[in-house]
Amino acid sequence: MEKDAKVAAEDPKVDLFEDDDEFEEFEINEEWEDKEEGKDTTQQWEDDWDDDDVNDDFSLHLKKELESNTEKS
Amino acid sequence: MAAYPGMSMGEAHRRITEYLNRFSDAVSNQDAASLRFLLSLSSNSPFLLSLADALNTFQDSGRLIKHSDHYSQFSDILFNLFRSLQTYRLGNLFDSYQAFEKSANAFIQEFRNWESAWALEALYALAYEIRVLAERADRELASNGKSPEKLKAAGSFLMKVFGVLAGKGPKRVGALYVTCQLFKVYFKLGTVHLCRSVIRSIETARIFDFEEFPKRDKVTYMYYTGRLEVFNENFPAADNKLSYALTHCNPRREANIRMILKYLIPVKLSIGILPKDWLLEKYNLVEYRDVVQALRRGDLRLLRHALQEHEDRFLRSGVFLVLEKLELQVYQRLVKKIYIIQKQKDPTKAHQVKLEVIVKALKWLEMDMDVDEVECIMSILIYKNLVKGYFAHKSKVVVLSKQDPFPKLNGKPVNS
Repeated sequence: MEKDAKVAAEDPKVDLFEDDDEFEEFEINEEWEDKEEGKDTTQQWEDDWDDDDVNDDFSLHLKKELESNTEKS
Repeated sequence: MAAYPGMSMGEAHRRITEYLNRFSDAVSNQDAASLRFLLSLSSNSPFLLSLADALNTFQDSGRLIKHSDHYSQFSDILFNLFRSLQTYRLGNLFDSYQAFEKSANAFIQEFRNWESAWALEALYALAYEIRVLAERADRELASNGKSPEKLKAAGSFLMKVFGVLAGKGPKRVGALYVTCQLFKVYFKLGTVHLCRSVIRSIETARIFDFEEFPKRDKVTYMYYTGRLEVFNENFPAADNKLSYALTHCNPRREANIRMILKYLIPVKLSIGILPKDWLLEKYNLVEYRDVVQALRRGDLRLLRHALQEHEDRFLRSGVFLVLEKLELQVYQRLVKKIYIIQKQKDPTKAHQVKLEVIVKALKWLEMDMDVDEVECIMSILIYKNLVKGYFAHKSKVVVLSKQDPFPKLNGKPVNS
C-alpha cells in the first residue's frame, strides 16, 4: 500500500500502531430497529446529478472564459 | 504505592470470599451476565476495584481459593485473575496482562468442557478484556522504551478462541464477535493481511451461516471487511459491505455511522454517486464537500485544492489514492460541460471539440497543459469509456459520438 509507505517514511513507528477509525463496541445486548432497506438510501445519495444544466456559476464562468479571445498569461 | 490503610484484613477476607462465591454461583447457575461482570477488569467497577484493594491488603488469596471445593476447581482461572486485578490496580499493566492471559487460557479449558453455549457472553468479555489490556500493556512497554508485543500475543490468543468456537455446536455463533476483536487487533497493529485467514473461515466454512450471527457482529464485520475492500480497490464489494453496515447499524451510534460513511463516500464517488450535503453536514464529513462539488462542477482546480487541503487526513485513512483517481471523472464532467456550452451556441458543430478549447479551460483552472498533454488525457478518457469518440488527429479535434458521448458510470467503477 503506497499510501502507508508514504506515511511510514515520515514517521515509522507512530502511525503503524494506531487505527483512528476503530469501530465502537456495541453493548452485548444492544438492540435496535432495522431500517427498511432502501428507504434512507434515496435520501442519502444522488445518482442523477450528472445533468445538462450549465446555469450554475462555474459553468457561466467557464462559458465566458471559452468565449474570450484575449490571451491570458 | 502504599495500599489501603482503610481496609481491615477481615474486610479484605470478606470481599475476596464474596467474589469467589459469586464466581462459583455464576458458573453453577450458568449465569453468563454475572460471570461477564466478574471478568471485566477494565470496566473499573467499584466492586472490582475494591476487590483489588482487598487482594492487595490480604496478599494470600491463593489460600482462600483452595478453601472450598466450589471454587478450588477454578484455581488457575481465579489465582491469575486475582494477580491480574492486583497488578492492574497498582498500574502495572504488563504484569496485569501476563496474568490475565494465563487466567484466560485456563478459562478456555473450562469453557471447552461446558457443552452448551451458555457462557458465550462471558467469553466475549474475556476477548474484549484481553485486547484492551494488551493495548495498555503495549503502551506501558513503549513508554519504557521497550518493544510492544502484547497486542500481538492477544491476537494469537484470540485465534485460539476462534478455533474453539469454530465447530458444529451452538458456540459457533460467537465466532464473529471474536473475529471482530481480531480485526481490531490487526488494524491497530497494521497487520491487516492477517485478517485473510479468519475471513476465509467465516465466509467459506460450512459450519458458519452468516445470517445466524448476531446483528451487531455482522455490522462490525461488514465495516472492517468493507474497509479492506477499499484498500484493495474492489469498489463494488466495498459498496456492498459498507452499505450493509450503514443500513444495519444502530442509527443512534453516530460515531460508528460516521466511520462507515468516511469509507463509503469515496467508494460511492468512484461509482458516480454523490452523497447529499446534509449527510456530510450531519456526520461532520465536511472534508469531502469540495471533492463532491468538484465532481459536480467538473472543477479540476477545486479537486486538487481539496486533496491538498486534507491530504494528511486522507492519507491516514488510506482513501487518498481513491480520491485522487476521481480526477478522470472530473475531466469527463468538464469536457461534457464544454460540449454542452458549445451545443448551446451551435448544435451542428458541438460534437467536435477542439483540444485547444480544452487547453483554454484547463488554463483557467490553473492547470498548464499543452495540446499534446490534453490529447493524452482525452485518449485515456476514451480508453476508459468515459468519453465516446475518436481523434481527428491532424486537426487536433476530438470528434464525439453523437449518441451518449459521456457514458455514465451506472454504479460501476471506471474501467481500470
